[in-house]
Amino acid sequence: MPMLNKNASQTTPHRSDEPIWWSLFSAGGVCVAMLVPAITLLVLLGIPLGLVSAEQLSYQRLHALVFHPLGLGVVLGAMVLPLFHAMHRIHHGLHDLKLAHGRLAKWLCYGSAVLLSLLVLGLWFSGLG
Amino acid sequence: MPSMAIQLQRYLPERDSTPHWQAFNVEYDDSTSVLDALEQIKAEQDSSLSYRWSCRMAICGSCGVMVNGVPKLGCKTFLRDYPKGLQLAPLGNFPVEKDLIVDMSRFLEHLTAIKPYLIAEAAPQGQPHRQTPAQLARYKQFSNCINCGLCYAACPQFGLKPDFLGPAAIALAHRYNLDSRDSGKAERMAQLNSDNGVWGCTFVGYCSTVCPKGVDPAAAVNQGKIASTLDGVIQWFKPAKASRNKEQR
Amino acid sequence: MSRKPYQPPMPASWWLKHPAYRFYMLREATVLPLLFFVASLLYGLYALGQGESSWLQYLSWLQQPWVIALNSLALVASLFHAWTFFVLFPQVMPLRLGSRTLPAWLMVSAQWAGVLLVILALWWLLGGMNADA
Repeated sequence: MPMLNKNASQTTPHRSDEPIWWSLFSAGGVCVAMLVPAITLLVLLGIPLGLVSAEQLSYQRLHALVFHPLGLGVVLGAMVLPLFHAMHRIHHGLHDLKLAHGRLAKWLCYGSAVLLSLLVLGLWFSGLG
Repeated sequence: MPSMAIQLQRYLPERDSTPHWQAFNVEYDDSTSVLDALEQIKAEQDSSLSYRWSCRMAICGSCGVMVNGVPKLGCKTFLRDYPKGLQLAPLGNFPVEKDLIVDMSRFLEHLTAIKPYLIAEAAPQGQPHRQTPAQLARYKQFSNCINCGLCYAACPQFGLKPDFLGPAAIALAHRYNLDSRDSGKAERMAQLNSDNGVWGCTFVGYCSTVCPKGVDPAAAVNQGKIASTLDGVIQWFKPAKASRNKEQR
Repeated sequence: MSRKPYQPPMPASWWLKHPAYRFYMLREATVLPLLFFVASLLYGLYALGQGESSWLQYLSWLQQPWVIALNSLALVASLFHAWTFFVLFPQVMPLRLGSRTLPAWLMVSAQWAGVLLVILALWWLLGGMNADA
């Protein structure tokens, strides 16, 4: 017989840690939408598309822009948060495609986002000197 | 009268181990609904056919079926809109009991768990609970749910993970949480905060597309994610109070 | 009478069944080109830290056909992502003025204006005004 689970309304489940990852994912999503089109268009594809000259992407100019305190903000917005954005979607995508779920997949996904973010920050701070 | 070929997914548990398709022909005009067609088949061609229905006016939420793979209310879907023919199957993601009848008890359990009713202190002596139009506007859209379950048939996360509370239950939790007369938010948040609460959703958004009442459950679930995040932050800073998501009572 | 409910299977290919699910998967897949974008920037950041000659090497790496192709894909993916993300914003965070909700189209177009503004700002930072002359 269809039995309604009488405990369903009484037991209290554990609080998810997803708010942390979802917040990073959402902030990353905004950054991807706002920053990635500009950076791909003008920096990564700027010369092939003829939108900027090699002169405009000179070492001196880019070095000054990137290793400026505000440049760190751009590095966070264009690299660190997008990494968390991407790994969050990959984590859920693995579940959606029934490839992997559970603790290991979660550790691998967010762990790699953390490690790559540390690499990004390390590169930025070492480039300062 | 023109006629239309309809493929029906049949499942007779005392005879079949898996469902099979059966073809029927029904006569129809501009006013013939899918539910009318089912009634015609049962009355004139095969009385063993089983399906649920009641009001015939899109308010009881009983006659949900998959129409060409899309969750629809049978009474609100018309044959005239499907000139290429119809395939009718039971609502997706639910266990099939017989023919077009599914077992919705899991949805009902989830609905029970989020306490979809006003948990309110009594109004002042002899006074009604007052609510301004602005307070009503906050939740009104989410109160139109008729518990038809179409959004559960549309939700792949419910299909992948049947313990996920699902679109309608969370939308109703959100509806009562937004109600200025309600004070039961703490009890509902405990459910919404879990992996099977709002966090089971990946915003596919198809639940809102198929909702026959324009409820937009996807919006409710994802507003619920913000509410759950804030709830977590508040709990973080208020350690004195017993934590909401441990065994209580 | 005993029951024998039939549980329909949920194969890993479920998302191929309906256009709405394929659209969802496409949206989720925008993070794959995004990872290449981040890798490109990572290489750029490294080159910038190494000195001028490696930066010039990086600029010529950016002009290899396969790199151009993948970055073009990243651009298209980011615009598609932006389109899907901006539409969600008024749904998830409806802004209310009294009993009225700010219309969705206004919030969506404001976000696109933001994208345009960032492009113009970066163009200006790269000396766009002077270089064009």
